[in-house]
Amino acid sequence: MISMANHIAQLQAQVRALPNLGLGLGLRHVHFDYIQSHWPAVDWFEVISENFMFSAGRPRYVLRQVAERYPVVMHGVSLSIGSTAPVDLTYLKALRDLAAEVNPRWVSDHLCWTGVLGTNTHDLLPLPLTEEAFWHVVSRIRVVQDYLERPLILENPSTYLSFTHSTIPEPEFLSGLVRETGCGLLLDVNNTYVTCFNADLDPIAYLEALPWESIVQMHLAGHQHCGTHIIDTHDRPVVAEVWELFRLAWNKTGGVSTLLEWDGNIPSFEACLLELHKARDFMGESMGQKEATPPVRFTEEAVGTPINFMVPQIMEDTVTN
Amino acid sequence: MEPNDNQLGDIQVWMQQALVLSGQATSPDDTLRHIAASKTLSAPARLAIYQNGYYARLLQCLEGQFKALCHALGKELFDDFGRDYLRQYPSVSPTLALLGANFPDFLQQTRPDLNETEKEQWVEFMIALARFEWDLYSMFDAPGHEGKPYAALSDSDESLRVQPCFSLHQYGFPVSAYYRAVANGADPDVPAPGTQFVAMVRKNFRTAVYELLPPQYTFLQELASGCTVQEALAVAARVHNKPEAAAQAAWTTWRKTWIESGFFIINTQSA
Repeated sequence: MISMANHIAQLQAQVRALPNLGLGLGLRHVHFDYIQSHWPAVDWFEVISENFMFSAGRPRYVLRQVAERYPVVMHGVSLSIGSTAPVDLTYLKALRDLAAEVNPRWVSDHLCWTGVLGTNTHDLLPLPLTEEAFWHVVSRIRVVQDYLERPLILENPSTYLSFTHSTIPEPEFLSGLVRETGCGLLLDVNNTYVTCFNADLDPIAYLEALPWESIVQMHLAGHQHCGTHIIDTHDRPVVAEVWELFRLAWNKTGGVSTLLEWDGNIPSFEACLLELHKARDFMGESMGQKEATPPVRFTEEAVGTPINFMVPQIMEDTVTN
Repeated sequence: MEPNDNQLGDIQVWMQQALVLSGQATSPDDTLRHIAASKTLSAPARLAIYQNGYYARLLQCLEGQFKALCHALGKELFDDFGRDYLRQYPSVSPTLALLGANFPDFLQQTRPDLNETEKEQWVEFMIALARFEWDLYSMFDAPGHEGKPYAALSDSDESLRVQPCFSLHQYGFPVSAYYRAVANGADPDVPAPGTQFVAMVRKNFRTAVYELLPPQYTFLQELASGCTVQEALAVAARVHNKPEAAAQAAWTTWRKTWIESGFFIINTQSA
């Protein structure tokens, strides 16, 4: 019988052995036609697991084709690892079945909860960062990892509030999860910037406190600055401050798989690729200042965690006779 | 229930109610007790980001699933109905694909003329349009026949079966013409009532809507229930008071169009 410590060490070794896939893009419905007709030169794709887990139509078919040609990573939004609701075994089974079908390099989700009492808010809600929450999440990660038979990769979410009774800084919370479960981390550099701005924290200090050896992937995305707070909108280019944080994170990790998320007002595939490839300017040791998108201040209300990209464009794809 | 500051479950129930009930269940004292202010935002303002986002995000999704209905009602009224719907039917699924599944029934259950003898035509139309759009949406991710051969003109009548991603519907208004007009960027008037028979078919991952004549609808209904072509033609002729010879003659035209449109696959047991 393998001890818990050995099991965690094995998972940590698996995490550290995960490859650097290069620069990838999120697989989105609006790009299906382009991808299927061009098979474009991009290093890898990340898919939103829930868009494909229950599909018997085109999304699943396209994903199978993509997975035959590119490395794929599965990224979930409904695992709800921090929820006090029971672990959803039907969901886990569908996740495992999809993973068996498309052979993702890893499976990730967020440090968050999405609902209780049977409801799914479809938002990545923040956890109180307490001892109670920590051990609750530890126990659920262990259940999920045992079921999926692979380490779970957890992403730091964008948060817009913090709880009065939180006692553990988020980087410390994440480090503890790695230590106690052997899970890996997906560092969303934009989320770091958003969360730190919204919580009056220093993003560089946040990054410095992370367990770098367990970070297997990074996310980049655009956000909307509302003056008093920032909303994680994924609907525009990456801002200069986030690129600079990415430069730091790249050097700290020694370079890991990096992915651009673009989920609202999604431009052409080529435009997404151009934005992604800006990352190359920030991947070296050189600290020479490259030109990046200047920060833009907005004041109108925005909606975070966009999900409209998860709704296929039925009207545009229907023929009425 | 008074949340206990150190109970994760209580905090989650409290916060979820604060989002779903849009502040109705949130006392300012609770908010200040649970949520910290930032340098620029008060605790209620920080919670409000999640409260506003909850409905904005799900309504955006619902609008995507019912584009023509949203056009017909106007965004403001659609969102009012949508907000009430989401309160009564919050999502219970990991996927958003099912978000609008109960929306047509909800509109029927909460129609303003529910207890009136005379029904409002515009209400009838909106419910019919909602049913049409959900029927259409359901075809997108349904199991289909892609990757396998569809029937060909050379296949025998005895071997024809309707394909798995095929459905028949009857509406009280010409909803597909309205839908088509909205899809083409027009702003059509609410149409007069009139029974419409429709077939929805997905072939090579493209869904097509076919308006049917009543005998065609009956024929396809019979065929889908397992009858042979000849049996289905006989039923269609009898139900619609047509000579069987006329039905046989019509079938030669229907057959070509429908086979080319992917209505049929081959039953290998009889091929």
